[in-house]
Amino acid sequence: MNKKYYRFFGGFLSVQENWLNQMSKKGYRLVHTGKMFYEFEECEPGQVKYCVEFIGQKSKSQAKDYHDFLEDMGYNVFYKNINLNASIGKVRWRPWAEKGGRIATNATTFNQELLIVEKEEDGKPFELHTSYEDQEIYYKNLRNPWLLLLLMFAIFTVTNHSAIWGILTLIFLIPVLLYQMQIQKAKQEAKTKEW
Amino acid sequence: MRDHAKGGALTEVTFYILLSLYSPKHGYAVMQFIEEKTEGRLSLGAGTLYGALNTLQEKGWITPCGDSEGRKKQYIITELGKEIAEKELVRLDELISVAGEIIRGGAV
Repeated sequence: MNKKYYRFFGGFLSVQENWLNQMSKKGYRLVHTGKMFYEFEECEPGQVKYCVEFIGQKSKSQAKDYHDFLEDMGYNVFYKNINLNASIGKVRWRPWAEKGGRIATNATTFNQELLIVEKEEDGKPFELHTSYEDQEIYYKNLRNPWLLLLLMFAIFTVTNHSAIWGILTLIFLIPVLLYQMQIQKAKQEAKTKEW
Repeated sequence: MRDHAKGGALTEVTFYILLSLYSPKHGYAVMQFIEEKTEGRLSLGAGTLYGALNTLQEKGWITPCGDSEGRKKQYIITELGKEIAEKELVRLDELISVAGEIIRGGAV
């Protein structure tokens, strides 16, 4: 019997990753994803491992290229949304994407900001980013959307003299700081080591 | 990946990818080549490999090649890439001989 779940993890990538890995330990592997929907089929307990990867900074063709590359590496790859959006035909500008920002529409990586990557367990650790330099780039891509929100709300706080904006600003500070710590750690290690 | 202009040192990942592509390979074969040659010491994450392949292609050290059959993208090292790899070998030879003299107290 397939199991169906409704879950929403938002920006908590590692929580989502842990949940999927727990499901695999219980003997369920992913077969289908929807906006908040996850469908699992039975498998050997611990047969597969999951990584959740943020790709919101990529263009549609870059995302597809990366998706296909990972499939060629022998992984199963699912697209996943990071936000809940009911609208169709919405256009978003993503100034935090590289080189002057990106316009995200339903035809691009909008609602496909994440990849869930599934690997058959082979006894080796499952990490997508192994060199410190690459980890630094990856965590910067994760930090930048939060940094943008932080700056925007900081400006609202100052212009509106409002405590509510101020509280939201502080909330956005948390992910920025967490990712910043990862970036610093990778940078520090990269001074003497490559991986 | 940092810019390795004239005479700069390569990262181990870069050098191994260049070496693996003396014969055409797709991503998975590159990863296997590196794991085999290093007996599992250097295990590359797929994301890191992807980034490295793109960077090396932009630099013109490797190039996509080959057959249109199958969508798996294959790469091969370019003449420029070979030049870079040869320079790196000379640099490493020197490094090893200096390290050998000091650590082992004699010629290697």
